Amino acid sequence: MLRRTLLGGLPALMLSAALLPHTAMAQTAAPSVDAPVTISFYNYNLASAGLGGEATRKLIAEFMEANPNIIVEGVAVGSQDMASRLQADMAANRIPDVAQVVFDSLAFVADNLGAVALEDAIPADELAAHFEGMIPAGLNLGRLDDKTYALAYTFSTPVLFYNADLFVEAGLDPDNPPRNWQEVRDAAAAIAETTGAGGFNGSLAGGGAAGFDWALQGVLLSNGGGVLSDDRATLTFDDPATIEAVQMLRDLHEAGIYENMPSEVMIEQMNSGRMGMLLTTSAQQNTLIRAAEGQYDLRVAAMPGFGDRAAVPTNSGSGLVILSEDPVKQRAAFELMKFLTSERGYTIITSEIGYLPLRPSIVDDPAYLADWVEANPLVRPNLAQLERMQPWAAYPGQSYRQIARIFLDAVELAVFGGADVEQTLTAAQSQAQSLMPR
Amino acid sequence: MTSTFTPSAAPRLARRGIARLAPWLFLLPAALTFVVWVYWPLLDAFRLSFYEWNMLPRSEPRFVGMENYANIFELSKFSQALKNTVIYIVGLLPIAVLIPLAIAIYTQDLPERSRNIYRAIIFVPMIIAPVVAAAVWRWLLDPSYGLVNNWLGALGFEPVRFLFDADTAIWTIIFITGWKLIGFSTLILSAANANINPSLIEAARMDGASNWQIIRDIRLPLLSSTILFLTMITILLGAQWSFAYIVVLTQGGPLGSTTNIFHILWDFGFSSLSVGWSSAAAIILVLGFGALAFVLLRLVDRYSFHDN
Repeated sequence: MLRRTLLGGLPALMLSAALLPHTAMAQTAAPSVDAPVTISFYNYNLASAGLGGEATRKLIAEFMEANPNIIVEGVAVGSQDMASRLQADMAANRIPDVAQVVFDSLAFVADNLGAVALEDAIPADELAAHFEGMIPAGLNLGRLDDKTYALAYTFSTPVLFYNADLFVEAGLDPDNPPRNWQEVRDAAAAIAETTGAGGFNGSLAGGGAAGFDWALQGVLLSNGGGVLSDDRATLTFDDPATIEAVQMLRDLHEAGIYENMPSEVMIEQMNSGRMGMLLTTSAQQNTLIRAAEGQYDLRVAAMPGFGDRAAVPTNSGSGLVILSEDPVKQRAAFELMKFLTSERGYTIITSEIGYLPLRPSIVDDPAYLADWVEANPLVRPNLAQLERMQPWAAYPGQSYRQIARIFLDAVELAVFGGADVEQTLTAAQSQAQSLMPR
Repeated sequence: MTSTFTPSAAPRLARRGIARLAPWLFLLPAALTFVVWVYWPLLDAFRLSFYEWNMLPRSEPRFVGMENYANIFELSKFSQALKNTVIYIVGLLPIAVLIPLAIAIYTQDLPERSRNIYRAIIFVPMIIAPVVAAAVWRWLLDPSYGLVNNWLGALGFEPVRFLFDADTAIWTIIFITGWKLIGFSTLILSAANANINPSLIEAARMDGASNWQIIRDIRLPLLSSTILFLTMITILLGAQWSFAYIVVLTQGGPLGSTTNIFHILWDFGFSSLSVGWSSAAAIILVLGFGALAFVLLRLVDRYSFHDN
């Protein structure tokens, strides 16, 4: 906050422009890395036991081979702990150099942790050359006040995974997956009745949300509701469209087809072929594919909408943020970021982890992803949704996590706890509004 | 012939000075540890409970007075946490005190081999790492393919959603916490039981006392100080022992039914990064349990019966 106010304040600008002609105008990163340098890379894919960790280590190894002067030390931190870990290490004066920051913490990291805006560190033409070919909506997500603080890195939208075998068993057509919530309800009821497996579950409410409201925001936006007003000053939990959307989820639970269970359990159920439909991040794709191989026919559909309206998927995911103030480390960090978000980087990220390629050109390029997409058409519905994507609204202020918590607790109570939806959400809105920055 | 060594005046005074200082020097490491690791954080928590802050050195703590306390009491989850803390304590007492007491007394008279085997079996849960134990219990209790529900199904019952149903989740966590602790209490009670003078038991038997009379009139009174001690630490620490299982298995849910004051204060501090709320909850905890500990200590002193 202090840094940004200083840089924005005119007197300060004039003073610094007079005394130090370079500081306010030129970019701070060194032009190249000439001597060996070590940078720390805080990453949450490394913390996952599975494909995410392996693929990230592979990317880092490839980068270090191509850049012998740069040594990258990966630091594995769980995604929910990333913001607090960055804080703690900065407080201990162990400044991280580059970090994979989940988008909900973007405002916090930019304002309080001193994230370096790319426009301040890297020459404009180099930035423009690198940004070319990346989805503009993706780049926008890392922008705050017209500066890019986070370079969009791993990215996914909610998609509907479904078990085609259970569909067939229940007498449904697996080639015509549900397109709206009414169809989801009918399909789930049929599956639950005829096969005894779970009907529907998702990373929306209760244990499935696992502490993040990104997918739930997508459902609310699809109904015309939302959580935050456009001026980011008021919470809109009690908006009628929001209440209606939550009521829809409540009806699914009361119909007996949507039960409250922790995230790992719902994925385990899907993997063992006992769940009809699962609405979750497309990043789970490769894990689900691996588990489904030889067991059941896993397919993917776009996120269901309300009635005839198309759904509005929100993104989940992270961006890469430079936190170091040392010019050489900034350059090394940016070189790493360039590699991770290059065509080669996204090829590995998409084919080996399951996130979206933010450079759509590689999907049809035989040198990169074309063959993989042929063999795994599951990524196509996700790609098609990208144009309708809207950012995951990050709550402003210091208490952003507490606000999200209050909201998720209220939704859990409304959907699974039998409480009155309107009352619960209105109470949550007034309670959380008092935590918004004044 | 002894030679007397007469030290000169100055060193004698210095030695006496050091001799007076020596006890304090011996106490210094332990006292320092206490101050640094217990009292300073406590005072700091008290101070932080009046501020709104997110632990960053770059952001200023904002003084908010009693607002944190007002805010957390408004949260229905907080009063639920307080209520659950009482449930944890009440639920743990039978498992952590009564059952080990029964086990200690009834395994006392077994032949040595089988007694050691039984005690080893009861003690093994204590040495399993809590997170590992929690993960295994989660699989055992799974509603779809856990062993426990398979057996219930074989007996004709519906599968019970042990950890996902708001009514049963807290009792399941209490059970797992208790299961882990039985070994500890059994060990302590067995040791105390073994310390009872066997001549007392022999004398009672010669007078024709039945087993139950021996237990009621000799063993229980002599074990009373240990039993009261175990009761006191279960009341004061029981809810805290369940922390690892709450974090791994239910994260305080479903619907906040398994959270308790220890878990919620950790949650405020590290999941929601609200240090003010976390400190306020911690101070409430210290005050509440401090008062409880004071009362319990008085009761223990009054009701303990000692052989000597």
